[in-house]
Amino acid sequence: MPTYTDMSRCDGCGECVDICPSDIMHIDPVYRRSYNIEPNFCWECYSCVKACPQNAIDVRGYADFAPLGHKVRVLREPEKGVISWKIRYRDGRLKEFTFPIRTTPWGSIKAPSDYAQPDLSALSSPLLAHEPAGLHIDALPTIKKA
Amino acid sequence: MFTNNPFAALTDFLPSLAMQVYIALMALAVVVGTLFDVVHKGSAKFFARRREKSEAAAQRRLSGGETVSLAIATIAEAAVSGEFCKWPRRISHLLMMYGFLLYLVTTVAMIFAYPAGAATPAILPTLWSVGALMILVGGLWFFFFLRVNVAYDGASPFHLGRADLFVGSLLVSVAFALVWHFVQTTHGHAASTRILFGLYMFFTTLLFVSVPWSKFAHMFFKPAVAFQRRVEEANGSSDLPSQSTENYIVRS
Repeated sequence: MPTYTDMSRCDGCGECVDICPSDIMHIDPVYRRSYNIEPNFCWECYSCVKACPQNAIDVRGYADFAPLGHKVRVLREPEKGVISWKIRYRDGRLKEFTFPIRTTPWGSIKAPSDYAQPDLSALSSPLLAHEPAGLHIDALPTIKKA
Repeated sequence: MFTNNPFAALTDFLPSLAMQVYIALMALAVVVGTLFDVVHKGSAKFFARRREKSEAAAQRRLSGGETVSLAIATIAEAAVSGEFCKWPRRISHLLMMYGFLLYLVTTVAMIFAYPAGAATPAILPTLWSVGALMILVGGLWFFFFLRVNVAYDGASPFHLGRADLFVGSLLVSVAFALVWHFVQTTHGHAASTRILFGLYMFFTTLLFVSVPWSKFAHMFFKPAVAFQRRVEEANGSSDLPSQSTENYIVRS
Protein backbone atom coordinates (compact mmCIF):
# COMPACT_ATOMS: atom_id res chain seq x y z
CA MET A 1 0.00 0.00 0.00
CA PRO A 2 1.55 3.35 -0.99
CA THR A 3 1.77 6.43 1.21
CA TYR A 4 -0.37 9.54 1.26
CA THR A 5 -0.23 12.75 3.29
CA ASP A 6 -3.00 14.06 5.53
CA MET A 7 -2.73 17.74 4.64
CA SER A 8 -4.48 18.88 7.79
CA ARG A 9 -1.64 17.35 9.83
CA CYS A 10 1.36 18.10 7.58
CA ASP A 11 3.31 21.23 8.50
CA GLY A 12 5.49 21.15 5.40
CA CYS A 13 8.78 20.41 7.18
CA GLY A 14 10.22 18.40 4.25
CA GLU A 15 11.53 15.38 6.22
CA CYS A 16 9.66 12.97 3.92
CA VAL A 17 11.01 14.65 0.78
CA ASP A 18 14.50 14.27 2.21
CA ILE A 19 14.22 10.61 3.15
CA CYS A 20 12.19 9.12 0.26
CA PRO A 21 14.51 6.70 -1.58
CA SER A 22 12.25 6.76 -4.62
CA ASP A 23 12.15 10.57 -4.75
CA ILE A 24 8.38 10.59 -5.10
CA MET A 25 7.51 12.63 -2.00
CA HIS A 26 7.35 16.21 -3.22
CA ILE A 27 5.92 19.56 -2.19
CA ASP A 28 2.54 20.65 -3.52
CA PRO A 29 3.00 23.96 -5.38
CA VAL A 30 -0.33 25.38 -4.17
CA TYR A 31 -0.53 24.34 -0.52
CA ARG A 32 3.18 23.77 0.23
CA ARG A 33 2.45 20.43 1.86
CA SER A 34 4.01 17.11 0.92
CA TYR A 35 2.31 14.61 -1.36
CA ASN A 36 3.14 11.36 -3.10
CA ILE A 37 3.51 12.32 -6.75
CA GLU A 38 3.38 8.74 -8.04
CA PRO A 39 1.84 6.09 -5.77
CA ASN A 40 2.52 3.40 -8.40
CA PHE A 41 6.24 3.94 -7.96
CA CYS A 42 6.14 3.82 -4.14
CA TRP A 43 8.45 1.09 -2.82
CA GLU A 44 6.31 0.92 0.29
CA CYS A 45 9.42 1.16 2.44
CA TYR A 46 7.49 3.52 4.77
CA SER A 47 10.60 5.58 5.50
CA CYS A 48 8.54 8.77 5.16
CA VAL A 49 5.80 7.35 7.39
CA LYS A 50 8.32 6.72 10.13
CA ALA A 51 10.23 9.96 9.62
CA CYS A 52 7.22 12.30 9.68
CA PRO A 53 7.31 14.21 12.99
CA GLN A 54 3.62 15.10 12.70
CA ASN A 55 2.33 11.55 12.04
CA ALA A 56 0.80 13.05 8.91
CA ILE A 57 1.68 10.26 6.48
CA ASP A 58 -0.48 7.16 6.27
CA VAL A 59 -0.63 4.25 3.93
CA ARG A 60 -3.67 3.17 1.98
CA GLY A 61 -4.55 0.84 -0.83
CA TYR A 62 -4.97 1.77 -4.45
CA ALA A 63 -8.14 3.54 -5.51
CA ASP A 64 -9.82 0.35 -6.76
CA PHE A 65 -10.12 -1.21 -3.32
CA ALA A 66 -9.40 1.66 -0.91
CA PRO A 67 -13.13 2.47 -0.45
CA LEU A 68 -13.61 -0.91 1.22
CA GLY A 69 -12.73 0.74 4.51
CA HIS A 70 -9.37 -0.62 5.53
CA LYS A 71 -6.87 1.78 7.02
CA VAL A 72 -3.36 1.86 8.42
CA ARG A 73 -2.25 4.57 10.87
CA VAL A 74 1.17 5.06 12.29
CA LEU A 75 2.40 6.74 15.46
CA ARG A 76 6.08 7.40 16.01
CA GLU A 77 7.27 8.09 19.54
CA PRO A 78 10.98 8.84 19.20
CA GLU A 79 11.30 9.67 22.87
CA LYS A 80 10.34 6.05 23.66
CA GLY A 81 12.07 4.47 20.67
CA VAL A 82 8.79 3.04 19.38
CA ILE A 83 6.65 2.96 16.27
CA SER A 84 3.07 1.73 16.63
CA TRP A 85 0.72 0.67 13.85
CA LYS A 86 -3.06 0.54 13.95
CA ILE A 87 -4.61 -1.64 11.28
CA ARG A 88 -8.30 -1.47 10.45
CA TYR A 89 -9.38 -4.46 8.36
CA ARG A 90 -12.19 -4.34 5.83
CA ASP A 91 -14.47 -6.30 8.18
CA GLY A 92 -14.00 -3.67 10.89
CA ARG A 93 -11.48 -5.52 13.07
CA LEU A 94 -8.82 -3.37 14.65
CA LYS A 95 -5.34 -4.53 15.55
CA GLU A 96 -2.49 -2.58 17.06
CA PHE A 97 1.19 -3.46 16.94
CA THR A 98 4.04 -1.77 18.74
CA PHE A 99 7.61 -2.20 17.59
CA PRO A 100 10.72 -1.02 19.40
CA ILE A 101 12.91 0.60 16.76
CA ARG A 102 15.96 1.61 18.73
CA THR A 103 17.49 1.66 22.18
CA THR A 104 19.41 4.95 21.94
CA PRO A 105 17.92 8.46 21.82
CA TRP A 106 16.60 9.74 18.48
CA GLY A 107 19.33 11.61 16.59
CA SER A 108 22.15 10.22 18.71
CA ILE A 109 23.65 7.89 16.08
CA LYS A 110 26.97 9.30 14.93
CA ALA A 111 27.81 9.50 11.23
CA PRO A 112 30.95 7.57 10.14
CA SER A 113 32.72 10.88 9.65
CA ASP A 114 32.20 11.71 13.32
CA TYR A 115 34.48 8.82 14.37
CA ALA A 116 38.27 9.01 14.45
CA GLN A 117 39.96 7.48 11.43
CA PRO A 118 41.04 3.90 12.28
CA ASP A 119 44.71 3.01 12.30
CA LEU A 120 45.84 1.36 9.04
CA SER A 121 47.40 -1.48 10.99
CA ALA A 122 43.86 -2.51 11.97
CA LEU A 123 43.35 -3.79 8.41
CA SER A 124 44.91 -7.08 9.47
CA SER A 125 42.45 -7.44 12.33
CA PRO A 126 39.26 -9.47 11.88
CA LEU A 127 37.37 -6.70 13.71
CA LEU A 128 35.54 -3.97 11.88
CA ALA A 129 36.28 -0.31 12.60
CA HIS A 130 35.54 0.73 16.20
CA GLU A 131 34.67 -2.79 17.29
CA PRO A 132 34.13 -3.87 19.99
CA ALA A 133 33.73 -0.44 21.70
CA GLY A 134 31.23 0.69 19.03
CA LEU A 135 29.03 -2.29 19.89
CA HIS A 136 29.07 -1.37 23.58
CA ILE A 137 30.65 -4.68 24.54
CA ASP A 138 34.05 -5.57 25.97
CA ALA A 139 35.00 -8.20 23.42
CA LEU A 140 33.56 -10.17 20.53
CA PRO A 141 33.38 -13.96 20.89
CA THR A 142 36.15 -15.83 19.10
CA ILE A 143 36.30 -19.36 17.70
CA LYS A 144 39.07 -21.40 19.15
CA LYS A 145 40.94 -23.66 16.76
CA ALA A 146 40.62 -27.33 17.60
CA MET B 1 10.99 58.36 11.29
CA PHE B 2 10.03 55.79 13.91
CA THR B 3 8.04 58.20 16.04
CA ASN B 4 5.90 59.91 13.35
CA ASN B 5 2.42 58.68 12.49
CA PRO B 6 2.87 57.66 8.84
CA PHE B 7 -0.82 58.16 8.09
CA ALA B 8 -1.10 61.67 9.53
CA ALA B 9 0.45 63.41 6.51
CA LEU B 10 -1.84 61.50 4.17
CA THR B 11 -4.75 63.69 5.16
CA ASP B 12 -3.36 66.41 2.84
CA PHE B 13 -4.76 64.52 -0.12
CA LEU B 14 -6.80 61.71 1.44
CA PRO B 15 -9.55 62.29 4.03
CA SER B 16 -9.39 60.27 7.24
CA LEU B 17 -12.77 58.80 6.42
CA ALA B 18 -11.42 57.33 3.17
CA MET B 19 -8.67 55.54 5.09
CA GLN B 20 -11.17 54.23 7.63
CA VAL B 21 -13.46 53.00 4.85
CA TYR B 22 -10.48 51.29 3.18
CA ILE B 23 -9.67 49.39 6.39
CA ALA B 24 -13.32 48.35 6.78
CA LEU B 25 -13.36 47.15 3.15
CA MET B 26 -10.20 45.10 3.67
CA ALA B 27 -11.68 43.50 6.81
CA LEU B 28 -14.80 42.71 4.77
CA ALA B 29 -12.61 41.23 2.00
CA VAL B 30 -11.00 38.87 4.54
CA VAL B 31 -14.40 37.75 5.87
CA VAL B 32 -15.92 37.26 2.40
CA GLY B 33 -12.72 35.61 1.08
CA THR B 34 -12.60 33.19 4.01
CA LEU B 35 -16.28 32.28 3.63
CA PHE B 36 -15.79 31.78 -0.12
CA ASP B 37 -12.76 29.61 0.64
CA VAL B 38 -14.78 27.53 3.10
CA VAL B 39 -17.61 26.97 0.60
CA HIS B 40 -15.47 26.53 -2.50
CA LYS B 41 -13.06 23.99 -1.00
CA GLY B 42 -15.79 22.27 1.02
CA SER B 43 -13.72 22.65 4.20
CA ALA B 44 -16.81 23.25 6.33
CA LYS B 45 -18.37 20.01 5.04
CA PHE B 46 -15.08 18.18 5.62
CA PHE B 47 -14.83 19.41 9.21
CA ALA B 48 -18.52 18.68 9.89
CA ARG B 49 -18.14 15.12 8.57
CA ARG B 50 -14.96 14.62 10.57
CA ARG B 51 -16.68 15.86 13.71
CA GLU B 52 -19.65 13.54 13.16
CA LYS B 53 -17.30 10.58 12.69
CA SER B 54 -15.38 11.58 15.79
CA GLU B 55 -18.53 11.84 17.88
CA ALA B 56 -19.76 8.47 16.62
CA ALA B 57 -16.44 6.81 17.43
CA ALA B 58 -15.96 8.57 20.78
CA GLN B 59 -15.31 6.21 23.67
CA ARG B 60 -16.39 8.81 26.20
CA ARG B 61 -18.08 12.20 26.26
CA LEU B 62 -15.98 15.20 27.20
CA SER B 63 -17.24 17.51 29.92
CA GLY B 64 -17.54 21.27 29.35
CA GLY B 65 -14.50 21.87 31.55
CA GLU B 66 -12.39 19.41 29.55
CA THR B 67 -13.43 21.05 26.27
CA VAL B 68 -12.53 24.48 27.61
CA SER B 69 -9.17 23.21 28.83
CA LEU B 70 -8.50 21.69 25.37
CA ALA B 71 -9.41 25.03 23.77
CA ILE B 72 -7.00 26.84 26.11
CA ALA B 73 -4.25 24.30 25.33
CA THR B 74 -4.86 24.83 21.59
CA ILE B 75 -4.64 28.61 21.95
CA ALA B 76 -1.46 28.25 24.02
CA GLU B 77 0.06 26.02 21.33
CA ALA B 78 -0.88 28.45 18.55
CA ALA B 79 0.50 31.39 20.56
CA VAL B 80 3.97 29.84 20.55
CA SER B 81 3.65 28.25 17.07
CA GLY B 82 4.04 24.89 18.80
CA GLU B 83 2.79 22.99 15.75
CA PHE B 84 6.14 23.45 14.01
CA CYS B 85 8.64 20.70 14.68
CA LYS B 86 11.72 22.68 13.64
CA TRP B 87 12.91 25.69 15.63
CA PRO B 88 14.01 27.91 12.67
CA ARG B 89 10.52 27.72 11.15
CA ARG B 90 8.99 28.26 14.55
CA ILE B 91 11.03 31.41 15.22
CA SER B 92 10.40 32.72 11.71
CA HIS B 93 6.66 32.09 12.10
CA LEU B 94 6.59 33.76 15.52
CA LEU B 95 8.35 36.84 14.11
CA MET B 96 5.86 37.07 11.25
CA MET B 97 2.79 36.32 13.38
CA TYR B 98 3.50 38.80 16.17
CA GLY B 99 4.96 41.32 13.72
CA PHE B 100 1.76 41.16 11.68
CA LEU B 101 -0.41 41.53 14.80
CA LEU B 102 1.60 44.56 15.97
CA TYR B 103 1.54 46.11 12.50
CA LEU B 104 -2.20 45.49 12.07
CA VAL B 105 -3.29 46.71 15.50
CA THR B 106 -1.16 49.86 15.37
CA THR B 107 -2.34 50.65 11.82
CA VAL B 108 -5.98 50.41 12.90
CA ALA B 109 -5.29 52.41 16.09
CA MET B 110 -3.49 55.22 14.23
CA ILE B 111 -6.14 55.50 11.54
CA PHE B 112 -9.22 55.27 13.74
CA ALA B 113 -8.07 56.74 17.05
CA TYR B 114 -5.67 59.40 15.78
CA PRO B 115 -7.03 60.84 12.53
CA ALA B 116 -5.79 64.15 11.07
CA GLY B 117 -4.64 66.70 13.58
CA ALA B 118 -4.67 64.40 16.61
CA ALA B 119 -1.30 64.01 18.32
CA THR B 120 -0.25 60.36 18.09
CA PRO B 121 1.69 58.84 21.01
CA ALA B 122 5.20 57.96 19.78
CA ILE B 123 4.79 54.36 20.93
CA LEU B 124 2.25 53.58 18.17
CA PRO B 125 4.41 54.45 15.12
CA THR B 126 7.38 52.84 16.88
CA LEU B 127 5.48 49.58 17.35
CA TRP B 128 4.18 49.87 13.75
CA SER B 129 7.78 50.03 12.48
CA VAL B 130 8.94 47.26 14.82
CA GLY B 131 6.06 45.04 13.65
CA ALA B 132 6.89 45.70 9.99
CA LEU B 133 10.58 44.93 10.62
CA MET B 134 9.69 41.71 12.44
CA ILE B 135 7.61 40.62 9.43
CA LEU B 136 10.49 41.41 7.09
CA VAL B 137 13.09 39.57 9.16
CA GLY B 138 10.93 36.47 9.71
CA GLY B 139 9.50 36.57 6.19
CA LEU B 140 12.76 37.01 4.28
CA TRP B 141 14.42 34.29 6.37
CA PHE B 142 11.51 31.99 5.56
CA PHE B 143 11.32 33.00 1.90
CA PHE B 144 14.98 32.51 1.00
CA PHE B 145 16.10 29.77 3.38
CA LEU B 146 13.23 27.91 5.05
CA ARG B 147 10.59 27.46 2.33
CA VAL B 148 10.28 23.70 2.10
CA ASN B 149 10.33 23.65 -1.70
CA VAL B 150 13.59 25.63 -1.58
CA ALA B 151 15.24 23.81 1.34
CA TYR B 152 14.17 20.26 0.40
CA ASP B 153 12.66 20.14 -3.07
CA GLY B 154 15.44 21.82 -5.04
CA ALA B 155 13.49 24.95 -6.06
CA SER B 156 15.38 28.22 -6.54
CA PRO B 157 15.19 30.71 -3.63
CA PHE B 158 13.68 33.12 -6.17
CA HIS B 159 10.99 30.67 -7.28
CA LEU B 160 7.50 32.15 -7.07
CA GLY B 161 4.32 30.10 -7.08
CA ARG B 162 0.76 30.30 -5.86
CA ALA B 163 1.87 29.04 -2.46
CA ASP B 164 3.90 32.25 -2.13
CA LEU B 165 0.97 34.59 -2.74
CA PHE B 166 0.34 35.23 0.95
CA VAL B 167 3.90 35.56 2.21
CA GLY B 168 5.03 37.35 -0.97
CA SER B 169 2.30 39.99 -0.93
CA LEU B 170 2.76 40.46 2.83
CA LEU B 171 6.51 41.00 2.48
CA VAL B 172 6.26 43.38 -0.48
CA SER B 173 3.41 45.32 1.16
CA VAL B 174 5.35 45.77 4.40
CA ALA B 175 8.58 46.61 2.58
CA PHE B 176 6.80 49.36 0.61
CA ALA B 177 5.18 50.59 3.83
CA LEU B 178 8.58 51.13 5.43
CA VAL B 179 10.16 52.64 2.30
CA TRP B 180 7.16 54.96 1.83
CA HIS B 181 7.35 56.02 5.48
CA PHE B 182 11.10 56.71 5.17
CA VAL B 183 10.74 58.72 1.93
CA GLN B 184 7.77 60.62 3.37
CA THR B 185 9.84 61.56 6.43
CA THR B 186 12.89 62.62 4.43
CA HIS B 187 11.37 64.07 1.21
CA GLY B 188 7.90 65.21 2.30
CA HIS B 189 5.24 65.16 -0.42
CA ALA B 190 7.41 64.51 -3.45
CA ALA B 191 6.00 62.55 -6.38
CA SER B 192 8.12 59.57 -5.27
CA THR B 193 6.17 59.52 -1.98
CA ARG B 194 2.87 59.29 -3.85
CA ILE B 195 4.18 56.51 -6.12
CA LEU B 196 5.48 54.53 -3.14
CA PHE B 197 2.17 55.01 -1.35
CA GLY B 198 0.35 53.73 -4.45
CA LEU B 199 2.55 50.61 -4.53
CA TYR B 200 2.02 50.08 -0.81
CA MET B 201 -1.76 50.28 -1.30
CA PHE B 202 -1.65 47.95 -4.31
CA PHE B 203 0.19 45.16 -2.50
CA THR B 204 -1.80 45.63 0.71
CA THR B 205 -5.02 45.31 -1.29
CA LEU B 206 -3.61 42.23 -3.02
CA LEU B 207 -2.81 40.68 0.37
CA PHE B 208 -6.36 41.04 1.68
CA VAL B 209 -8.31 40.52 -1.55
CA SER B 210 -6.43 37.37 -2.57
CA VAL B 211 -7.65 35.38 0.47
CA PRO B 212 -9.53 32.73 -1.61
CA TRP B 213 -6.36 31.95 -3.59
CA SER B 214 -3.74 32.41 -0.90
CA LYS B 215 -3.14 30.72 2.45
CA PHE B 216 -4.26 33.79 4.41
CA ALA B 217 -7.18 31.81 5.85
CA HIS B 218 -4.77 29.33 7.50
CA MET B 219 -4.83 31.53 10.59
CA PHE B 220 -8.47 30.51 11.07
CA PHE B 221 -8.31 26.88 9.87
CA LYS B 222 -5.16 25.71 11.64
CA PRO B 223 -6.37 26.33 15.21
CA ALA B 224 -9.73 24.68 14.34
CA VAL B 225 -7.97 21.55 13.07
CA ALA B 226 -5.61 21.52 16.06
CA PHE B 227 -8.56 21.78 18.47
CA GLN B 228 -10.45 18.96 16.72
CA ARG B 229 -7.35 16.76 16.90
CA ARG B 230 -7.03 17.37 20.63
CA VAL B 231 -10.72 16.53 21.11
CA GLU B 232 -10.28 13.27 19.17
CA GLU B 233 -7.29 12.30 21.26
CA ALA B 234 -9.17 13.09 24.48
CA ASN B 235 -12.44 11.31 23.64
CA GLY B 236 -10.72 8.21 22.27
CA SER B 237 -11.88 8.62 18.67
CA SER B 238 -8.45 9.37 17.22
CA ASP B 239 -7.49 6.92 14.49
CA LEU B 240 -3.86 7.00 15.65
CA PRO B 241 -2.49 3.98 17.53
CA SER B 242 -2.44 4.14 21.33
CA GLN B 243 0.69 5.51 22.88
CA SER B 244 3.24 2.94 23.93
CA THR B 245 3.39 2.18 27.62
CA GLU B 246 7.00 1.07 27.42
CA ASN B 247 10.16 3.06 26.86
CA TYR B 248 12.81 1.24 24.88
CA ILE B 249 15.48 3.93 25.14
CA VAL B 250 17.84 2.23 27.57
CA ARG B 251 21.20 3.67 26.51
CA SER B 252 22.44 7.19 25.96
